Amino acid sequence: MKGNLKSMRRGHYTVAYLLAALVMIYVSYSVPRWLPGDFVTAMYSSSHVTLNAEQEAGLRAYYTQRQGFGQYLVDFFTLRWGYSYAFLTPISKLIGEALPWSLLLLGTAHLLSMVFGFLAGVEAAWRRGGVIEKAGVGSMTVIEGIPEIGTAVILLLLFALHLGWLPAAGGETAYVTHSAGQRIMDIGRHLVLPLATLFLAYLPGNFLLTRGSMVMVLKEQFIETARAKGLPPLRIRYAHAARNALLPMVTRFGLRIAFMLTGALVVETIYAYPGLGTLLFNAIAMRDLPLIQGIVLFSSLLVLFVNLALDFLYGWIDPRVKYAS
Amino acid sequence: MKKRSYVLALLVMAALLALEAPAAAQTQIQEIRIADSKGDWGYPNPYRHYPRGPGYIRMSWVFDTLVWKDREGYVPALADSWSYDPAKMAFTFNLNPKAKWHDLKPVTADDVAFTIEYFKKHPYSWISVEDIGRAEVQEPHKLVIYLSKPYSPFISDIGGTMPVLPKHIWQSVENPGAYDDPKAFVGSGPYRFVDFNKAQGTYLYQAFGEYHQGQPKADRLIYVRSGQPLISLTGRQVDLANIQPDMAEPLKQKDLVVIRDERGWNKKLMINHKKAPFSDKSFRHALAFAVQQQEIIDKSHRGFATPASYGLLSPDHDMYNPNTPSYPFSPEKARALIESMGYQKAADGFYQKDGQPLKLELLSSNITVAGQSVADRDGEVIKKQLEQVGIRVDLVNLEQATTDSKVKSWSFDLAVSGHGGVSGDPRILNEMISSKYGAGSVNSARYDEGQELNALLEEQMVEMNEGKRKTIVYKIQEVYAQALPAISLYYPDSMSAYSPEKGIVWYYTRGGISKGIPIPQNKMSLIKKSDK
Repeated sequence: MKGNLKSMRRGHYTVAYLLAALVMIYVSYSVPRWLPGDFVTAMYSSSHVTLNAEQEAGLRAYYTQRQGFGQYLVDFFTLRWGYSYAFLTPISKLIGEALPWSLLLLGTAHLLSMVFGFLAGVEAAWRRGGVIEKAGVGSMTVIEGIPEIGTAVILLLLFALHLGWLPAAGGETAYVTHSAGQRIMDIGRHLVLPLATLFLAYLPGNFLLTRGSMVMVLKEQFIETARAKGLPPLRIRYAHAARNALLPMVTRFGLRIAFMLTGALVVETIYAYPGLGTLLFNAIAMRDLPLIQGIVLFSSLLVLFVNLALDFLYGWIDPRVKYAS
Repeated sequence: MKKRSYVLALLVMAALLALEAPAAAQTQIQEIRIADSKGDWGYPNPYRHYPRGPGYIRMSWVFDTLVWKDREGYVPALADSWSYDPAKMAFTFNLNPKAKWHDLKPVTADDVAFTIEYFKKHPYSWISVEDIGRAEVQEPHKLVIYLSKPYSPFISDIGGTMPVLPKHIWQSVENPGAYDDPKAFVGSGPYRFVDFNKAQGTYLYQAFGEYHQGQPKADRLIYVRSGQPLISLTGRQVDLANIQPDMAEPLKQKDLVVIRDERGWNKKLMINHKKAPFSDKSFRHALAFAVQQQEIIDKSHRGFATPASYGLLSPDHDMYNPNTPSYPFSPEKARALIESMGYQKAADGFYQKDGQPLKLELLSSNITVAGQSVADRDGEVIKKQLEQVGIRVDLVNLEQATTDSKVKSWSFDLAVSGHGGVSGDPRILNEMISSKYGAGSVNSARYDEGQELNALLEEQMVEMNEGKRKTIVYKIQEVYAQALPAISLYYPDSMSAYSPEKGIVWYYTRGGISKGIPIPQNKMSLIKKSDK
């Protein structure tokens, strides 16, 4: 009986996510079509090519998609995501080329800022009222107020222009012959500045959130009990308190995934860093409908997938969630 | 005696070494890196590059045309010589017999004739071959192109723009847009196409050793994406980049050479002349008198621009008419014209007629100039100027593609826009004025109401005599500036910087590359023969 209930719950769960996925596929199909303008106008408006009426009509007929949602669904499930108007290249290939760069930059930035923000937040809350906590909160609040564009410009001026230590643009030095080790070093050098910019942008939020959650958790009775039992402070901090302060961080991580792939546009643009954000931005500017649809769909399905994974992760991190459901 | 001959020998050796010195400067350059803020301009072949200047330039390294322009004017490319016979309405081209395709097959007149026929069947949007009757191959390296009617921009639009395709590759290609075989990039230009990385926005070209005008100066040509040309240039990570005018002085101090383009790109105020009150010429004149060009330049561009001619063609153009009507800033004249149309000022200081306020919407966006998106405050300054005269303005800032689509569908009152080509072939006048030529352009005024103007535009297209064409073009500028279907505002300063260490001299081409591309990446800079 209990097993049946459990499988029914799982079934409802899966159906809900499938429905959400269907809605997202529809949104990715329909929303880009609401954009004013079309590919021909966007592509030729600032062109040295001046189209006459006949040429324009020919191009518009070629580039205007009249694909219904049913066909779009069929194409989606058969992995025929179409060709980009501008690149004349399969969408999947374009996403596949840009995705590793986005994951490298944004994944690393999220991971580092989460780990450091979490550790710093736990330590600051543990030392509540002390100089370190006050200095931490003050400095993080200030950093939180600096926009990414400001941090990026400061870092560029200092490390690329004046000191000349780090490259100002790109994901790697284009077209040089490197050994594997040298290539990794080169990619690393190009990664430092954009990564530092994003790290500084994400760190304060993680720090302040963890500190806030930790302060609440530290007031709980089970912490008092742990202290009374004479457990070592490190164990109380991390095994008892921090674990309970972790849930909001995980939720935040899940929410930020939505922005992870396409949300670093400013940083990608300033550092000319390759990634999905730049790809989407250019696709929108050119009204490259199939590419916009592809990136929006890919990002939204990824969000869905991550949230599904987080739902399972919650239960593992905090068993109360499992019992409550 | 022995000592004297020893000294003499030393002197001879020193002289020989001195003579050798210029040759040392000619040593092969390993690579040239060019920065670009956007990076992606499509694949470098006629059917896959973006229809913008940077896209064409990337293709021009791979595909040669019949003629080309260097800093002095037209020079041979695939054609060694050419002539026009007015009686037969025919151009004769003698091709360079040394020219080869990248697969080492010879370039022949047959290839050129094939290209024309191929572009008739599969149009290439940069050129129009509809006025070409037929191409006759007379010898392996000689062909005659017969026109169906005189076509004055032929050398600019066809001779200097049409990339010649290898017949042996393209004759079996039915869908050129989808043709992505490596053979699609076999051209006869100075560089072979090697790679385009779409994610990183980088291009790699390799010098074509068998190029008929000699081995290119640099072995590799690389385009990289860079959002910060100042840093990339000073760090010598790139050799050439487009820069903002305010960067010029700091870059000169870092021993970089700064070059400035002629006035070939103009910002203008598009007017919806199809609806009232803009359909009234007096109102358009009032707008012109109300807008102070210099103030826009000073406040929005820190002085880095020059006021534009109301006749559209640049003052740097050979056919520029210095007597084109102008509209020097005069709020009084603007008000007088508006009042002559029956408008009266209300208590709030703004005009109204029959209880209806004179209110218009001004669209503004960041315009792309030579591949760079340029932010400015033009819309704000123009709004202030028009409101000072008494016209209420609703300023709407939109993303460029949205503005373009509204202009295209005539869903606007006024819009800030811009385009290049105003120092190139005067055909630009037809494209930017008449809907017959510029129906697909959002920068074209698409103004067909002026019978005299329409006739002049047609006339200049078929006038093969340069002097007579100039007279017609002079008249077009006068009539256009009087009709004023759009108001040219200013020519922004366009600059680039390059590092001189490698010995390459980059320059802006007079009238722009090909049809007027204002980018200093002329392939002649990397061809040894072009050194003057």
